[in-house]
Amino acid sequence: MSPAIPPDVLWLDGMPDEAVVLPTGEPARALGCDPFAADPLPDPFTERLLRDVPSHTPRAPVQAAPPAVPVREAETVSDGREAEVDSTRPGIDRLPDRERRRRWVRTPRIDEVELPDASSLTERLLDGDLRRRLAALTHLSEGGAPYDRYGFSPVAIQAAFPYFHALYRLYFRVRSEGHDRLPTEGPAVLASNHGGLLPFDGAMTVVDVLLHSDPPRLPRAVVDHWAGTLPFVNVFYAWVGQVIGTRENVMDLLDDGQLVLVFPEGMDGVRKRVTQRNRVQRFRVGFVEAALRSRAPIVPMAVVGADNQAPILFDLSTLARRLSLPFFPITPTFPWFGPLGLLPYPVRYRIVYGEPLPYHERFGPEGADDPQLVRYLANQVRREIQTLVDRHR
Amino acid sequence: MTHGDEPIGRRVVKALVHDARIENVLAVGEGSAPRAFDRFIAETPGRFAYGRLDLAKHRSCVDFFHSRRFRDARIDTLVHVPRHAARVAGPPVVSGLPVRTAEARLVLQHALEAASIRNLVALGSAFVYRLTPGNSNRLSEASELNLDPAIPGEVRSWIDCDMIFHGEAGGGRLRVALLRVPTVVTSGGYVYWNPSLAGPPGPRPRPIGFDPMCALICDKDVAKAVQAAVHSNGSGSFNVAGYESVPLSVLGSWTGRPGVPVPGPALQLVSTAARWLGQESLRSALDGAELRYGFTLDTRRAERELGFHPHYHVGLARAGDGRLRLETSPA
Repeated sequence: MSPAIPPDVLWLDGMPDEAVVLPTGEPARALGCDPFAADPLPDPFTERLLRDVPSHTPRAPVQAAPPAVPVREAETVSDGREAEVDSTRPGIDRLPDRERRRRWVRTPRIDEVELPDASSLTERLLDGDLRRRLAALTHLSEGGAPYDRYGFSPVAIQAAFPYFHALYRLYFRVRSEGHDRLPTEGPAVLASNHGGLLPFDGAMTVVDVLLHSDPPRLPRAVVDHWAGTLPFVNVFYAWVGQVIGTRENVMDLLDDGQLVLVFPEGMDGVRKRVTQRNRVQRFRVGFVEAALRSRAPIVPMAVVGADNQAPILFDLSTLARRLSLPFFPITPTFPWFGPLGLLPYPVRYRIVYGEPLPYHERFGPEGADDPQLVRYLANQVRREIQTLVDRHR
Repeated sequence: MTHGDEPIGRRVVKALVHDARIENVLAVGEGSAPRAFDRFIAETPGRFAYGRLDLAKHRSCVDFFHSRRFRDARIDTLVHVPRHAARVAGPPVVSGLPVRTAEARLVLQHALEAASIRNLVALGSAFVYRLTPGNSNRLSEASELNLDPAIPGEVRSWIDCDMIFHGEAGGGRLRVALLRVPTVVTSGGYVYWNPSLAGPPGPRPRPIGFDPMCALICDKDVAKAVQAAVHSNGSGSFNVAGYESVPLSVLGSWTGRPGVPVPGPALQLVSTAARWLGQESLRSALDGAELRYGFTLDTRRAERELGFHPHYHVGLARAGDGRLRLETSPA
């Protein structure tokens, strides 16, 4: 780092000319320029973007949930459900491919769900509220089918949930805040930082959202392609509602009005060394594109603590390539204790949800066609998450 | 209509004959006329006819497309139903091409040359897409085709047919509608056009730790999709699928082809040996990507441009003898 630049600088993509100085002495909610601020910083890049990109008339800022009620119904689509067209959304007349909106998948509120019988020992460990929440998830698969089209099985998640709930309460002792910022219905992208070798941060986020949303929402976590090649793991992931990170999958889930949990750092976040912990790595940009096209807000969130659960000292990348692995970590316990060395340390997790970022209202779906804008917005989300991490670590 | 004597073809013929908007139906197939056609031939002699034709042979195609019967029927739409996988086995090569591919080439060539034909509706397979890792991935018409040269011959022939028809979709001479269908099932537990479930019932090896989702469509919905394509002006490729998607293990048990979990490396070894021995049909059954990775289809384009919506559900039902078997029922 150049000595001319102040130490409180967030480096973007390793490029010094993109470095943005942290605003000091004020409760700024993000680093750099906020495109939604009433009086934005004089950023020529932002000005050019706003000038070049066909923008829509901005609506009133979204406080928590996006406007979720579709106003008119249109036609019937393949699965027999009626499609909806939300005419309140901007630019719909210019979107032939997206003009036919599907009915959103909804779960009932907890007080509308009949308390199911506890059929197994593990289910008896859960109280009535949790059993109701799990029972509400059966509405995610169409017509009460045992699977949805991604292989999600309500029965499987009911069987697995007690174990993850125990991890949530007793092992990671999760504390969370900002649940009121989660949209209660409609599509949304939850963008989180990633870390900790094994993806327990994703699992704990899913449990946390499920526990604190009403109607209960199941975040559909987007996982790396590599996970799809792993025997048993890929089936388990599908059973509990996770999907592989392809463009079609994410768009399809958002069109269904579901909550999609993404880790834009990808594998870079998981394999970062201990010296980089709590530093958000370079973001992929596909989630911004999907959010813009699907007119979904992005909810930045931070999971603090996951980076400490398995500190990576070295990454033997040469050995990893020979073994066809994405990375080969050396931690204080792995590979010295074998596979047991991969298990996370009992660190405390802290999950924080930020304010929703309704980029779709400002830039519209056409904004997704501008790679510079998409990259810029991805960096904005990254700054939001980095701010959340810095505040709560 | 080609291959009218095969299971899917028979269903399409029935749908077309019962469609009052269609004036004449001329079906061809390799075998003799199925008994199901007797009633059509007897009751509507001027409206329906069936002829025997080897589509893979150039001479027989020329004879048919230049025949008086064909000319008098004033056929304006050609519906191509590809050959069933089981029939591809045997001597698989005609003039250096798989039989299915050779047929597709000849059908397209004669459709272009015949003066009366304005529309070509071809059935294709959704297994032409490159399957990315994952238990289930959504595929649209814009998804990438699997052009890997090492894929099994069965899937390769589907891809070749797909590209042959798709290449003409942009031309001005013909309106080409290519319908990509996933696994086709029929009442009674029959399954077609799934490379990993081809052949007679019985246990199938499958890699342990994988259970991909399979998109399904019943044969009656395939016929409905063909009908919709015949009457629409849509051109290009269209994904069509039914309501249901089930794991491969469930589909296997429903259709009498239960999976036997085998370690993946062992299957790969056997697959490699089968390749050396020239047993191409074994390869897709042992080591095809569809045994590990699943897909479902985004059918919104077919809904929008063809007006196709599935009419049938697929599920288990108890048959007259008390056994559970796959059945279809109207939605």
